[in-house]
Amino acid sequence: MNIGINRGLLTAALLLAISAAPRAHHSFAAEFDANQPIQLRGTVVRVEWINPHTWIHMDVKKPDGAVERWMIEGGTPNTLLRRGLKKDSLPQGTEIMVDGYKAKNGSNRANGRDITFTDGRKLFLGSSGTGAPRDGRDASEK
Amino acid sequence: MRDKHLVLIVALFSVLLLTPSLLIAQNGSAGAPPAKPYTTPRTPWGEPDLQGTFSNRTITPFERPANVSGREYFTPDEVAAMEKSAAGRNGDEGRTRGTRGDVERAYNDFWWDRGTKVTTLRTSLVVDPPDGRVPALTEEARKRQADEAKRPAFRGAGANGRGTDTWLDRSTFERCITRGLPGAMSPTAYNNNYRITQSPGYVAIQIEMLGGTRIIPTDGRQHVSSSIRQWMGHSTGRWEGDTLVIETTNFTDKILYRGAAENLQLTERIRRVGQDELEYRVTITDPTTFTRPWTLAIPFINTGEDMFEYACHEGNYGMEGILSGAREEERKAAEARKGSPR
Repeated sequence: MNIGINRGLLTAALLLAISAAPRAHHSFAAEFDANQPIQLRGTVVRVEWINPHTWIHMDVKKPDGAVERWMIEGGTPNTLLRRGLKKDSLPQGTEIMVDGYKAKNGSNRANGRDITFTDGRKLFLGSSGTGAPRDGRDASEK
Repeated sequence: MRDKHLVLIVALFSVLLLTPSLLIAQNGSAGAPPAKPYTTPRTPWGEPDLQGTFSNRTITPFERPANVSGREYFTPDEVAAMEKSAAGRNGDEGRTRGTRGDVERAYNDFWWDRGTKVTTLRTSLVVDPPDGRVPALTEEARKRQADEAKRPAFRGAGANGRGTDTWLDRSTFERCITRGLPGAMSPTAYNNNYRITQSPGYVAIQIEMLGGTRIIPTDGRQHVSSSIRQWMGHSTGRWEGDTLVIETTNFTDKILYRGAAENLQLTERIRRVGQDELEYRVTITDPTTFTRPWTLAIPFINTGEDMFEYACHEGNYGMEGILSGAREEERKAAEARKGSPR
């Protein structure tokens, strides 16, 4: 009985979660290509801390040794600031891996579906709360 | 089992009847004796004081979902399940790689700030009609929408105008202009923050998402001439008891709200229902678009946080990426046509 109810609630919650899928102020799907998944590994050059979205600039070393500069579109600085993040939170030289989608215009731009450090930790996923490093919702922070 | 449900329902309605603010009840005064009716504080010059910084983020659905059809309120168990799901979500759930939806959701929920609380037990932000759903469009509006679809560059103002020929095809949200009204007063994925300040005869509502401040006179003045049309319309305010009532008209035809444009008329009602909460209601009327007026009720919760600037044009690489992406796709399509044998 209880299992039945819980399943119903879970389904309801999931349906709501899906129907309330967030939208950025612009369409990411119009800018990036679902048919061009891309994986990048490189080092952070700088973070462009700008509205409406931040951009992470990174250098990616290709198999032939040549270095390509890439830009990864991120969240809005207002939200990131409220999450405790700052412009210098991702220092130059940090090694990251990006799993995302390439820009439709063919330039070296992508969105980051997942961004991880090289040891597998997800970038910006430091707590059991909203995913913020210090949002106060993680019991270990108290 | 049935008795249990009855007890739950009675308890739920008691909470709703006895406390002006559900959130305040949750935050501290639960268990305390029934409080005196809330008295709205006054400004030094004697008007009701609505000032503060508020957020309207919520996981309450805009329209009532089919699975709670016929019910005005969620049960506490349903709310607990929804909030647990929202708090634990990191953005990977229900996402299939290589799909438009996966690209659209970008990174995980760290980027977003759409809230993890329902902020009201209601099953929808639409509170009228009683079914919690936006009323049907008029035949005239449906015909208009069909015509607009044939001319994608006509208006980049709404869901229909999602062409990529020019920036004018894109929504005014993407173009960093405005979300219009009541869009700008409705919750979105982030930056759901508002600051209200008052001076004698004026109320100002500063909006974080896309920026901008609504200046609403409450000195009894009339609307400007109907020949003057504005993105955010023209608003006049008045006090009805402790409630600020704002009437807005004179909208431009360059922006759409669910199919409505220049004939849109809004009546907003804002009142303080507790120290930390405003009740915001807006009734949306346009007989050329909707088969009846309808009303949204959205809680605005005090955040105690600062507002930040959102200078949207600062680095809107997105617009460049969308348009140049479309050009590149056209070029590839033309090349493919040239290369393919006839």
